[in-house]
Amino acid sequence: MIRTLGLAFTLAAALPAAAHDLRVFASVTGDTVTVESKFSTGRIPNAGEVRVLDASDTLVMTLPLGEDGVTTFALPDGAADGGLMIEVDVSEGHSDYWLLTPDDIAHGQGTN
Amino acid sequence: MKTFLTAAALAATATAASAHYGMIIPSDNMVSQEDGRSIDLTLSFSHPFVLDGMVLEMPESFSVTHGGETTSLLDTLTEAQVMEDAGYSTEYRLERPGTYVFAMTPQPYWEPEEDAFITHFTKTYVSAFGDDEGWDTELGLKTEIVPLAKPFAQWEGNVFQGIVKLDGEAVPYAEVEVEYYNEDGSASVPSDLMITQTVKADGNGVFTYAVPTSGWWGFAALNTAEEPMQYEGVDKAHELGAVIWVHFEPWSTGGME
Repeated sequence: MIRTLGLAFTLAAALPAAAHDLRVFASVTGDTVTVESKFSTGRIPNAGEVRVLDASDTLVMTLPLGEDGVTTFALPDGAADGGLMIEVDVSEGHSDYWLLTPDDIAHGQGTN
Repeated sequence: MKTFLTAAALAATATAASAHYGMIIPSDNMVSQEDGRSIDLTLSFSHPFVLDGMVLEMPESFSVTHGGETTSLLDTLTEAQVMEDAGYSTEYRLERPGTYVFAMTPQPYWEPEEDAFITHFTKTYVSAFGDDEGWDTELGLKTEIVPLAKPFAQWEGNVFQGIVKLDGEAVPYAEVEVEYYNEDGSASVPSDLMITQTVKADGNGVFTYAVPTSGWWGFAALNTAEEPMQYEGVDKAHELGAVIWVHFEPWSTGGME
């Protein structure tokens, strides 16, 4: 279980039940993180908030949802070691998360 | 009193009553992000209820289709023993959410008992990271079952429906054989007539089957190729099978997390 890899993302256990039809996926290419959000219908949310937390559950940054449901940001220092929790809220009751693991980051950087 | 026959007893005595199936069985067919990023796949040619293997030669093709793009995975296959016979396995990393369709075209199998060649165009669908987009993908195989019900995320007891196609056209009243992958050998039957169940499609090539229990179920629509194949200089029939493997989940009463 990726969730048990020692990452202190306590929210991870609570979010799935609260999430309805939003689907969030994050990936790394080089030093850039790309977050993609869409509804299960395929529609793209037109506004929302992306929160990025580190392995100690500290908020690193908050970003607006980008056009086409895509948000990009530079990989924060230290993220490659501990991973990142990325939460997206588009409206009340529509939220989801993606846990970007150290393995995901290494894969995106071509180092594993 | 009716005697129920176990898989072991059937394998020893009644292999002929069970059907041949191309098989692609993934280690998981609904992969959440908590499950990891990779799955294992096992390829074989087997009698899935009686757990009797046959030799699967290196397939002609083995591919994955995702988001409209098809990639050959033939080079990734490694030899494996499946039901005590030769098969193949591989590991595949799921890069993005969505539905991944794994498909195998084996080399034609010469079956002396049936005096015919058999080619089973075999596929299975895997959903990654909570996204089911592409669940109804049609690959355009020589013969294919196109799912009308999602080929994952099904409860035991659900009906499964699909359209049988040959050369892209629906096959009216096609015969579809249905068999359970008796993985742990615990299922038994009162008669070997129950090992492989048979239904017919309707006039539009649509078949329906209600699945009685959870696990992997194989659906094989069988047609005969127009062109025979030659064995030792003699024309022989060539059975074309459209095979799809679908996993059905046990009804759960554990409550929400």
